[in-house]
Amino acid sequence: MEAFAGSAMVRAMIVLGIETSCDETAAAIVTADRRILANVVLSQLDEHRPYGGVVPEIAARAHLDHIDRLVAEAMAEAGLGFADLDGVAATGGPGLIGGIIVGVMTAKSIAAVHGKPFVAVNHLEGHALTARLTDDVAFPYLLLLVSGGHCQLLLVEGVGGYTLLGSTIDDAVGEAFDKTAKMLGLPYPGGPALERAAAGGDAARFALPRPMLGRPGCDFSFSGLKTAVRQKVEQMPRPLPEAALADLAAGFQTAVCESLAGRCRNALKQLSVSHPQVRTMVVAGGVAANQAIRTALTGLCADFDYRFVAPPMKLCTDNAAMIAWAGIEKLRLGETAPLTFAPRPRWPLDPDAVTTQVRATERV
Amino acid sequence: MKILALDTALSGCSVAILQDGRALAHRQRTMARGQAEALLPMVEAAMAEAGMAYAALDRLAVTVGPGSFTGLRIGLATARALALAAGKPLVGVTTLEAIAEGALAGHPTGKPVLVALDSRRGDLFVQLFDAGSRPLCPPQAVAPADLAALVRTGPLLLAGDAAETARDSLRAAGLAVEIADAPAQPDARLVAALGATRALPDGPVGPLYLRAPDVTLPKAAVLRVAP
Repeated sequence: MEAFAGSAMVRAMIVLGIETSCDETAAAIVTADRRILANVVLSQLDEHRPYGGVVPEIAARAHLDHIDRLVAEAMAEAGLGFADLDGVAATGGPGLIGGIIVGVMTAKSIAAVHGKPFVAVNHLEGHALTARLTDDVAFPYLLLLVSGGHCQLLLVEGVGGYTLLGSTIDDAVGEAFDKTAKMLGLPYPGGPALERAAAGGDAARFALPRPMLGRPGCDFSFSGLKTAVRQKVEQMPRPLPEAALADLAAGFQTAVCESLAGRCRNALKQLSVSHPQVRTMVVAGGVAANQAIRTALTGLCADFDYRFVAPPMKLCTDNAAMIAWAGIEKLRLGETAPLTFAPRPRWPLDPDAVTTQVRATERV
Repeated sequence: MKILALDTALSGCSVAILQDGRALAHRQRTMARGQAEALLPMVEAAMAEAGMAYAALDRLAVTVGPGSFTGLRIGLATARALALAAGKPLVGVTTLEAIAEGALAGHPTGKPVLVALDSRRGDLFVQLFDAGSRPLCPPQAVAPADLAALVRTGPLLLAGDAAETARDSLRAAGLAVEIADAPAQPDARLVAALGATRALPDGPVGPLYLRAPDVTLPKAAVLRVAP
């Protein structure tokens, strides 16, 4: 940063981001000219694996044990002192409240000591704005947010300007991946394991439903598909033959892809009438790491002459760079939060939308 | 020595700044929840009242538990980040020590004190201290019925938010006990006073939960699909 010291040049804003809302403890430093100076993520996978899912109290304990060290690591990696920051952003919700509290208190404290603004970021907004950090995508765009806790289609017209077009009426898509993987006896976390198992499978061997396909609207449903897989599994000998496992995994993944693409197709059709200026579709969230889903969406966007943007894998899964970036976007608009900010277990992106979605994490 | 101390581990939110044993500022509120909202503004107000800059502090102190898991994490996350941001060392003090200090300071009776805290799970978080506030046993979770076996003899003072439960159990066992006229919550001034005397820890200051997370291991996934 010495290059800027004493220079008349206005240096780009620098923000520290903190993410602790689920099972990743993360800290990152990002600049307004879209450089990631540090991005450290500590996964708690090993701690939750024996339980086959995220245990909120274990997650909260792990966040407390590690977040200050990760912040120090990120600062050192960026070669910055806290005084160099223009703001401190943390995920303020939605998610597991015990973890959110740890991240929010950490950010507030650093902001207080150095007299910097504190920014409370909606975790989903972090995912929603990532494509602007990685690909400089302009508003407006269509966003498919797919993760272990969420499955939503949103029209993004600006920072804070989100219109919900559709969401899941039962399971989030990542949740469906994890639960199906569990039924197939695959290790936790199920999503990546199921994708690997599906690689050699015959997707056509088992007839599985394509939930919601052909129906109007953009809502999603995955619990019927999950049940259909369970019924197939129950008809199979035990242990599950390797070929059957691969075929079921492939069949499930293909059904998810077709269902997702069908719902997105409805959204694109709808937007072509209501918002023809929208020319970009962005996918975000941990499930966006799935290659089959990326391929299906790429084809769909080609059909509609849309630009398709999928951020790099490590910025699709939970991370703090997206929180720092959303912090920068909010800081530019003067949207800071007071030190009295209360961490929020629930925080919908589109507060006007009526949604039946229940977050997976809230059921644990 | 200039020290900033915090406590949010039980049903309060308390902040104090001491300089060489003298309280320059003190804030104390009773709240079962809401410490995440209240704590930093209270710290800022206390620092302003004391006319203290974070850079002028020599160290920080915080209660590490036992107590409410969420409450002690609010205090620890805050204290650890304040210490990191200010580049100052942090020391931990248990809620049991701080409450014992409060009970013994007001009662130079020569009696030992048992601090008993409501664990919200039926048992109590307890520790026994002699009249000089030296611990006679480690902090532990104990069922009320097992308290008499732990303390063995009376007379003794009781303190903490579960003092009445402890009194009833110990009296039923025939021990001479009385509840100390002392706050049931840690006083941040005493946390600071205790923290000022501590040797600095080698590693990070960690929580004292005294209980593992409430979670049971599932059966193996392969068994779940079997009819």
